[in-house]
Amino acid sequence: MNRQLSTQFGEKFKKRSHDPDSTLLPRDPRSGEALLPRDQPGYYAGFSTLSQQSFWDAATRKVVTDRVGQNAPIRFFNSDEASFWTTVFDHLIPQTDRIPERRIPILPALDERLRLDRTSGYRFEDMPHDREAYRLGFDAINQEAQSQYHADFISLPHLQQDLVLKEIHDGEPKAAREIWKRMSVHRFWQLMMGDAIDAYYAHPWAWDEIGFGGPAYPRAYIRLERGEAEPWEVEEQRYEWIAPAHAASGEIEGTHEFHTESVQHRSHRRER
Amino acid sequence: MLGSLQHIDLPMRKFKELEEVDYVIVGVGSAGGVLLQRLARAGFNVVGLEAGPLWDTERDWVSDEAGSHELYWEDPRVTGGTDPLALGANNCGRGVGGGSVHWAAFTPRLHPSDFEVYTRDGVGSDWPITYEEIRPYYEQLELEMPVAGPAYYPWGHPHGYPYGPHPMGGVGNALIRGCSALNIPVSIGGPVAILSGSHGDRPHCIYRGFCIQGCKVGAKASTLITHVPDALHSGAEIRDHSMVGRVSLGKDGRVNGVHYFDKDGKEHFQCAKSVILCGYAIETPRLLLNSACSGFEHGLANLSDTVGRYLMAQAGTVVLGRFDQLVRMYKAPPAHALTEEFYETDPKNDFARGFAIQTVGPLPLAFGKQMVAAKKAWGWGLRREMMDYNHWASFGLLGEILPWPENRVTLDEEKDRFGLPIAHVSFNLHENDKRLIKAATEKTVEVMHAAGAAEVVHEARYAHLVGAARMGSDPRTSVVDKFGRSHDIPNLFICDGSIMPTQGSANPGLTIQALAARTADYLISQGDRVFTSNDRNMATPPIRREFAPPETWGKGVPRLT
Repeated sequence: MNRQLSTQFGEKFKKRSHDPDSTLLPRDPRSGEALLPRDQPGYYAGFSTLSQQSFWDAATRKVVTDRVGQNAPIRFFNSDEASFWTTVFDHLIPQTDRIPERRIPILPALDERLRLDRTSGYRFEDMPHDREAYRLGFDAINQEAQSQYHADFISLPHLQQDLVLKEIHDGEPKAAREIWKRMSVHRFWQLMMGDAIDAYYAHPWAWDEIGFGGPAYPRAYIRLERGEAEPWEVEEQRYEWIAPAHAASGEIEGTHEFHTESVQHRSHRRER
Repeated sequence: MLGSLQHIDLPMRKFKELEEVDYVIVGVGSAGGVLLQRLARAGFNVVGLEAGPLWDTERDWVSDEAGSHELYWEDPRVTGGTDPLALGANNCGRGVGGGSVHWAAFTPRLHPSDFEVYTRDGVGSDWPITYEEIRPYYEQLELEMPVAGPAYYPWGHPHGYPYGPHPMGGVGNALIRGCSALNIPVSIGGPVAILSGSHGDRPHCIYRGFCIQGCKVGAKASTLITHVPDALHSGAEIRDHSMVGRVSLGKDGRVNGVHYFDKDGKEHFQCAKSVILCGYAIETPRLLLNSACSGFEHGLANLSDTVGRYLMAQAGTVVLGRFDQLVRMYKAPPAHALTEEFYETDPKNDFARGFAIQTVGPLPLAFGKQMVAAKKAWGWGLRREMMDYNHWASFGLLGEILPWPENRVTLDEEKDRFGLPIAHVSFNLHENDKRLIKAATEKTVEVMHAAGAAEVVHEARYAHLVGAARMGSDPRTSVVDKFGRSHDIPNLFICDGSIMPTQGSANPGLTIQALAARTADYLISQGDRVFTSNDRNMATPPIRREFAPPETWGKGVPRLT
């Protein structure tokens, strides 16, 4: 694959035989052709928060740069669990639009959090402790895969994996009734998504992707109005894309009739 | 060019291990910081015990969401009821400065009507004080922080602010646009306890947007920088990493100190002539319940069975609007414009009380979770929404939820690392609350549409915590009197958000600090009688501005009378 070409944003490329499975790549909405992985997806080509790190304070620079290129060993999960959850997170926040060297690790942050038993400071009363929730979730997702497709989750084709997770997302798992009696489906989904977001969008490469300026102390932001870019930020350069052919997460729902927190994560979000 | 813009020197007095002090303050946060400063300046021997660290802001704080979790209370708690509250980063601080370290620093006052909700509307509760009694303390604390905002603020009791309003960010502009299109008045550039001009050794805001991750700049007020330096200078001691597990009651029916654990888990006892609890709306009732003893089997100072009850959070639904134009809402403080036009009870509504609409500016981690809640986004859908982060603006409604006895803090069977039973929080919305939230959400959505948003979604959530040890005139239905003194124990005081009987639709931080300064003036006026007498003097003393930190008073900022 031509790295030079793949880093030119906004252009379309035809898939070549040795490229990743095109059914898993985002597509051009007009031609339907797969868009080749980029080293920086998103609409801010050329923007790099890390390039500004000499303008950050030392403590911030350390915490952010330590996050990049971290290769922390997985210590809480065993190797089966680690493969399983890595696969799950590849669906919750897919990264096939990123070249492999620029994918953002998600599991290490969760593994470290669970190893230290660090929580967000509260547990819903219809939820077990976070460590137990992930143990139960492992079983529940595998049971869902078995009931739908008669195989463990990790051995399923990508699209079927997506569909298994969508059952949980929709709050309508068919299997593992005993587990879901002990653990709220929508709170578990919220927990997994929260951990995925906490890892992915804490990474400066994700900030570059979404055009978030990142740390600005002590330098300051000076252009506050009309969405203007700082001199060191870049202008938005949009391109069209749609989700891969083999993905169930591309279409998301619009707004729902709900007003209180307790019902908003449920699938049928209409208040009685 | 890099380095700290602001530096706090901390030469600190150390009391001896078994030395009895006049006051021990449990929790050095919004209220505890103010009390510590006032009492030390008035010459009392005072120790503040704080469960979290005494921050070195330049070393400990970062411009980073994920790296700031230590600012929040992360010890285990259980949350439930029909409408469970998110705790932790949502509303619970830890470390010196407490919630004032991670607040967005909106500082509206309560309205006069808030002090007589029951009389006016037949719901909730009246306060044992009026607006006029707390008003001098609002004016004083607005100077001590100080607060930036408009010269004329039209709602409640109209007033102005000492520091000029902040420039607008993209979210504030959207709020102005939406409100203006609907003929709704809007307050621009505050009120917010963030410096719009330098103040002493504190620089003005640099609009970096990380307010709730702790202000490294020193522009946002926290008691860590507004009151703690003067407290230490005046001879107070702060013992950080000190978790109080139990308040000790003597045979004479008076408290005589507190048991606490140090950083290594070693237990200590601090003798004191009087104890002031400033642990906020969960840890204060938890500590009282964990201090049950003979004569107080259901919790210390709980003969009324009110400790832990009447816990309140405000409706904090976030309404998000996607604009075709770029917004870049990470710039400017999240708190920079609001309207209180819908604050008061309106007979046309099918509910009592009201709400405010305010700017909020979620950073990527918070925004991502909002997209999960509001749009059920995941996978590629989430990636797509996040790529449009810079096109979104967000408003937060702040709606009054009424105090209900079964919304409460109790003790769970589970224990924390010190062996102390953890807090169980139960929260349930009632009909008035649900109607108010629905109407407030619809109005906020209308404003967002009027601002020009092409798509509007919302995430239902809650903000702030108050109540659970409320003040009142009747010892049968409240925990403390109007000065924060326990009805049951004459030398035990509570001063934090937990004493508020109702909450209005104003962010509670200013009111908490104003109540603390008022209690401090009362304690100072009582002198040694607090330590020696069981008499309860209910006369309100005059405000004592001379006990404010120096250089907040009479330095050329206008005083409102």
